[in-house]
Amino acid sequence: MTDQFPILIIIIPLLFAVITPLLGLWRENLCYPWVILSLALCMLCSIFVLGRVIDTGVIHYYLGGWAPPWGIELVIDHLNALMLVIISTTALLVAVYSKRSLEQELDSSIVYFYTIFLLQVTGFLGIVITGDMFNLYVFLEITALTGYALIAVGEDGAPFASFRYIIMGTVGACFYLLGVGYLYIATGSLNIADLSRLLPELYGSKVILVAFAFFFVGIAIKMALFPLHVWLPDAYTKAPSAASALIAPLMTKIAVYVMLRIMFTVFKPSLSIDMLPVTDIMIWLGIAAIVAGAVMALAQTDFKRMFCYIVVAEIGYMVGGTGIANSVAIKGVILHILNDAIMTLGMFVVAGIVYYQTKGHNLTDFKDLFKKMPYTMAAFVVIALSIIGVPPTCGFFSKWYLIQGAIIADCWAFVAALLLSSLINIILFFRIFEIGYGFSETHGHGNGHEEVLISEAPMSMLIPTIITALGIMLIGIYNQPIVNNIIQFAVPKL
Amino acid sequence: MLDFIIGKYNYWIYIILMMIGFYAMIGKRNLVKKIIGMTIFQTSIILFFVSTAYKKGGATLPIIEHAHGHGEHVGHAIEASSYINPLPHVLMLTAIVVMVATLGVALAIVIKIYRRYNTLEEDEILKAIK
Amino acid sequence: MKIANLLIVIITGMVLIYGTLDMPDWGDPNSPASRHLSPNYISDAVEKTATPNVVTAVLGDYRGYDTLGETAVIFSAGMACILILRRKRKK
Repeated sequence: MTDQFPILIIIIPLLFAVITPLLGLWRENLCYPWVILSLALCMLCSIFVLGRVIDTGVIHYYLGGWAPPWGIELVIDHLNALMLVIISTTALLVAVYSKRSLEQELDSSIVYFYTIFLLQVTGFLGIVITGDMFNLYVFLEITALTGYALIAVGEDGAPFASFRYIIMGTVGACFYLLGVGYLYIATGSLNIADLSRLLPELYGSKVILVAFAFFFVGIAIKMALFPLHVWLPDAYTKAPSAASALIAPLMTKIAVYVMLRIMFTVFKPSLSIDMLPVTDIMIWLGIAAIVAGAVMALAQTDFKRMFCYIVVAEIGYMVGGTGIANSVAIKGVILHILNDAIMTLGMFVVAGIVYYQTKGHNLTDFKDLFKKMPYTMAAFVVIALSIIGVPPTCGFFSKWYLIQGAIIADCWAFVAALLLSSLINIILFFRIFEIGYGFSETHGHGNGHEEVLISEAPMSMLIPTIITALGIMLIGIYNQPIVNNIIQFAVPKL
Repeated sequence: MLDFIIGKYNYWIYIILMMIGFYAMIGKRNLVKKIIGMTIFQTSIILFFVSTAYKKGGATLPIIEHAHGHGEHVGHAIEASSYINPLPHVLMLTAIVVMVATLGVALAIVIKIYRRYNTLEEDEILKAIK
Repeated sequence: MKIANLLIVIITGMVLIYGTLDMPDWGDPNSPASRHLSPNYISDAVEKTATPNVVTAVLGDYRGYDTLGETAVIFSAGMACILILRRKRKK
């Protein structure tokens, strides 16, 4: 039974997603426990698989018993297993959090929302666990379709934001498919391990170079790398709180994972780093993303949009770190995938709680919240310190690895960009703290004290926030064991 | 030179079709025209792949002849070069399904946009949102 | 703006055509795609899967997981259309 856990990780959310509409039409309030049960089982399976990978090494699972490359296989190594745990834990926390916020934002379609929620999680898990290039495209499209739907049921202006995301996302997926097609025409194989064996002799061929270029541009669109990030702020701001709390931490980091797989497992580092000038381009794009994200975040008065631009800057860290391409920097990138998922989850969860209580998106809606919602704001302070990069929160350690890697590679522009980003994050978050503590006088005080009665957040929304804040502290304190046992083996041999 | 063009012209025709669809997707201002461009782009990718499956020299469809009713044995030897390559067809069946699904969701979102703004031009919608 | 769009499209088309210069000729029976995986599919399909149609054998048996993913795509598109187009009944 435990041998089948790799496929159970995919099958459990998919099966439960198919049964959810039937269950919901019978009794609507059974959907919430059903979703939590499915994601809890999935999380247990993925933690077990992570333990097995740490003990015995890479797991290969042949679907249907057919040996690759004729059949499809699931390959779980250290990087995969870590991503599986990240995805299932984040999804479980968001599912617990989503009950109250969905009751307020969506009127009647909660059943279908939960179905698409589970399908989106299936898509995410399917992308990271597979060992076949075309299979990755199928699950990428599952993720994309469910993402479009989850975003389109948000507030006013959400369908148009989702439509823009459809156009750009389809271009990205089609470029990825063209890349797979060119590789197939040149080698005849679709399996990742088989391609990495067949490709090195063909590195001078024009077909392979064009395939690499199309993979990179397609994944850059999905990753919201500057300047292809224009779909992200509108889409994540106008989506419902539960949808943005699920999609924002995960989608872009999974695209970073796919980029790491393509650059270092399918194409060996000798092509990605030595032969092509891709890494220099990546460092400059990373620096541009960090600076642009920071500057645009400063200009926002809507805090959810500000968080979206912080996400764009964080992607810049990861792409620049991959561009530096020594083993310290890539350790930093993988650790930052873990950290950024938790920090972004924290940001959007707090944004959802503030929206639930105050029905507003503006920075001024944070007024006096430190007195009225002490626990939520305490968690928010921890999350903000982690994004700024203060020890012992986890954000400090991944920034430290990235800065170390940049210094070793003599890339001073990247170090400067990272430090600038920390400074701007300090300004951004202390602005919120200032409003929240009531230090600043807002204009228009005279017209009657109609105070909305704001109390502490409901339990189902508060507990995931506190778990996220605790997680940030724990991962920061225990980051050495995580790096030594898991991440060190996930770094490709450079 | 002529051999070179005859060897590659199928790829070039489909790439030109792809670029027509791509230009419609990013260049047009009407939402339905963008969706039509998306369909042209994805359909031409599918045709591009399927065209690589062909084998010259009298190859036929990949359905093994005289295989029914013989249990699991076929009377004659099966030669791979007399049947065209089945794998691109398989991949493109899945890609067609994905294309139709994306088209469906995109049209549903356009219906929702039309119900709200009563127009399908991108600039008018942007003005209405501001 | 129109010029920028046209430029992007032309550059993408040029890069794609540049990639086809090294590709095997159309219909070449010795191309890598025809020599690597397909001969095994064609010769073993009837024996191992009892299906004369090789495309069905690959789609349903060798690469059945892709077909599962495709079914999930259709299901999620259906659910997405219901979620997006649903109207509250006004009592």
